[in-house]
Amino acid sequence: MVRLFKFWGRSPRYPGNALAKRPGGQVWRRFWALFLSVLCAIGVNAALVAHLATPGTAQDIPKTLTMGTSADYKPFEFHDTSSGEDKIVGYDIDIANRIAKDLGFELKIQDMDFNGLIPALQSKRVDFVMAGMTPTPERKKSIDFSEVYYSAQNTIVAAKDSNLTTVESLKGKTVGAQLGSLQQEEAEKIPGAKVTTLNRVSDLVQELKSGRIDAAIIEDTIAKPYISIYPDLQFTVVPNKEGGYAIAFPKGSTLVPAFNRVIGAMKQDGTLDRLAKTWFEDLGKPAESGFQRIAPRIPYILGGILVTLGFTFAALIFGLILAIVLAIFKISTVKPLRWFANAYTSVFRGIPLIVTLTLIYFATPQLTGYKIDAFQAGVITFALNSAAYVSETLRAGIMAVDKGQREAAIALGVPYPTMMQDIILPQAFKNILPALVNEFINLLKDSALVSTIGAADLLRRATIVGAETYLYFEPLIIVAIVYYLMVVGLTVAASVLERRLHKSA
Amino acid sequence: MLRIENLHKSFGPLKVLDGITTEIQQGEVVAILGPSGSGKSTFLRCMNLLEQPTQGHIFFKDIDITGPKCEILKIRSNIVMVFQHFNLFPHMTVLQNVTYAPIKVKGLSKEQATAIGVDLLQKVGLAEKADVYPSRLSGGQKQRVAIARALAMQPDMVLFDEPTSALDPEMVKEVLEVMQDLARSGMTMAIVTHEMGFAREVGSRILFLNEGKLAEDTTPEAFFANPQCDRAKIFLEKMLK
Repeated sequence: MVRLFKFWGRSPRYPGNALAKRPGGQVWRRFWALFLSVLCAIGVNAALVAHLATPGTAQDIPKTLTMGTSADYKPFEFHDTSSGEDKIVGYDIDIANRIAKDLGFELKIQDMDFNGLIPALQSKRVDFVMAGMTPTPERKKSIDFSEVYYSAQNTIVAAKDSNLTTVESLKGKTVGAQLGSLQQEEAEKIPGAKVTTLNRVSDLVQELKSGRIDAAIIEDTIAKPYISIYPDLQFTVVPNKEGGYAIAFPKGSTLVPAFNRVIGAMKQDGTLDRLAKTWFEDLGKPAESGFQRIAPRIPYILGGILVTLGFTFAALIFGLILAIVLAIFKISTVKPLRWFANAYTSVFRGIPLIVTLTLIYFATPQLTGYKIDAFQAGVITFALNSAAYVSETLRAGIMAVDKGQREAAIALGVPYPTMMQDIILPQAFKNILPALVNEFINLLKDSALVSTIGAADLLRRATIVGAETYLYFEPLIIVAIVYYLMVVGLTVAASVLERRLHKSA
Repeated sequence: MLRIENLHKSFGPLKVLDGITTEIQQGEVVAILGPSGSGKSTFLRCMNLLEQPTQGHIFFKDIDITGPKCEILKIRSNIVMVFQHFNLFPHMTVLQNVTYAPIKVKGLSKEQATAIGVDLLQKVGLAEKADVYPSRLSGGQKQRVAIARALAMQPDMVLFDEPTSALDPEMVKEVLEVMQDLARSGMTMAIVTHEMGFAREVGSRILFLNEGKLAEDTTPEAFFANPQCDRAKIFLEKMLK
């Protein structure tokens, strides 16, 4: 049951979860599949079995071939619902169709659990299986295999002039691999190598380019596009006897030679390469420059401006309201209020923003049962945090308002809340306007932190586009410029506002 | 109108007012004189409770405004104050300064308040400055606006706390003229001032404070012609030189 990859299933464009790691809860289903296969073998398909087992004329061969697969292995075989109807598609499916067509059969696909495939073959309920299956010696004991139609191998990716091309050469080197992948296991087997793991292959490539790791172990279909984009990198396939996928047949099937013939033809005429391109290399043309590839995705990135500004404004407004309350507490004559406001400021000034953010985002659902979304968590965090700082500034701003203003208002019989609202706070805000603009700018930039909890702000979108296009710097440079322009715009707007306010005093 | 009984005021260990008893009648223009540190400003500020007396009682129209149940805000809107440093609201225009309290405190409509405000600005000679911000006014103009702002509350009494002390000499006159007009109209006024000429001509009564005590309580004529206590004699000698 060894499939070649063991990714986390985070990048659906590539071979997904290892079937070898399927949850143990499926044991029952496995048993059930076996049981049904046995029933089938004895019953319904007995006639077909007889036909296939008996050598005979072409007319005796049934017009339909049944293929077993496990359609949860994108891009080899998977359910495609994008057209509105459910269709099993993929690299394996295209090959199977071509073979069936060449041999003059109708193809019928039967989807089942991967664990049920071999029993289905043994019971001859299916004529063959294509499911990204690796021909291991253990499997060969019970079923037959065609030639390997797809060879996936691990590669050593390293700088072009590094001479790191063999497992032996990696001794004493720092080797990177994707966390939790089969490649990580392979890397750990290299004698004398220091293994670094990262979450994404794109991160590995960047680490390689910046020289923090000497080489990375990456699966070849995934390594290829990077090599074409970065000419300063090279990759070498690590020889692996078990590598590759083959078509499985019941022991002694007469179909094997015919299938091998077609596979050979497909290799010859380039069909396999073409299909591989279709399914694995939807990756942009290397001839294009980085920004050319980013260009069509720029509107998507810029869409993050609204998200970022939304965060910033919402947090600013809620933060300001809270800050006013806290500032009034701070200048109050009631001791517990002063104590509360000072404690509040102390707490929020003392905790890193990203810790508060993560706590609010992850702890709220567990404590209250309310599934707070990233936007809400972000706004709440930034508002709470900003209030701590602004309240302190505002308190100073209030203190800086001439004492005579207060006396004049009191002497006219103006009640305290009205006085605060109409006389003191407007002047206090004018005093602290430059500080407020600073706070706004900080808030705008700090809002990039919400990308860590998955909100689709500017930075997050840049990261997504980076992962999609294998480009790191270009999207980041774009968002850096956008952030900068927003801050400059804000500063200009603030100075215009300040000048207008000065006219009135 | 305002009866003061045994008024004491201390700031911590410092005794500023030491048992003052007097009464101000409707229509009186009371000039409060005294050497610096004699407590005259504190005395004035106690009259609208900007300073809370430590001891003693103040009755406004026979209501004890120092009592616990008194609605102090209402009293203050009836006994308004004009400050040495004007204390105009810098973020409001002249007219807004004048109409703000009538609208917010007395609940007048904007139209009513504006009518009163424009009328008062005319009386203090600043109608054309209605839409200007205070920062564009001279000191004398500011103080006249401050007087208009106080009068817009249509008060029973106006307290003046050294209204001309912060002004350049050539601007003192325009403010005093406005105050004189106000006195003639029959407004009850209490004025802490160093303008001896004004106190003599416009005042109907002189209160001379010394070391927190009411040293003399007499008419201007009597006070200026023949001060009773030694401290008043020295004071007048210095002031009239």
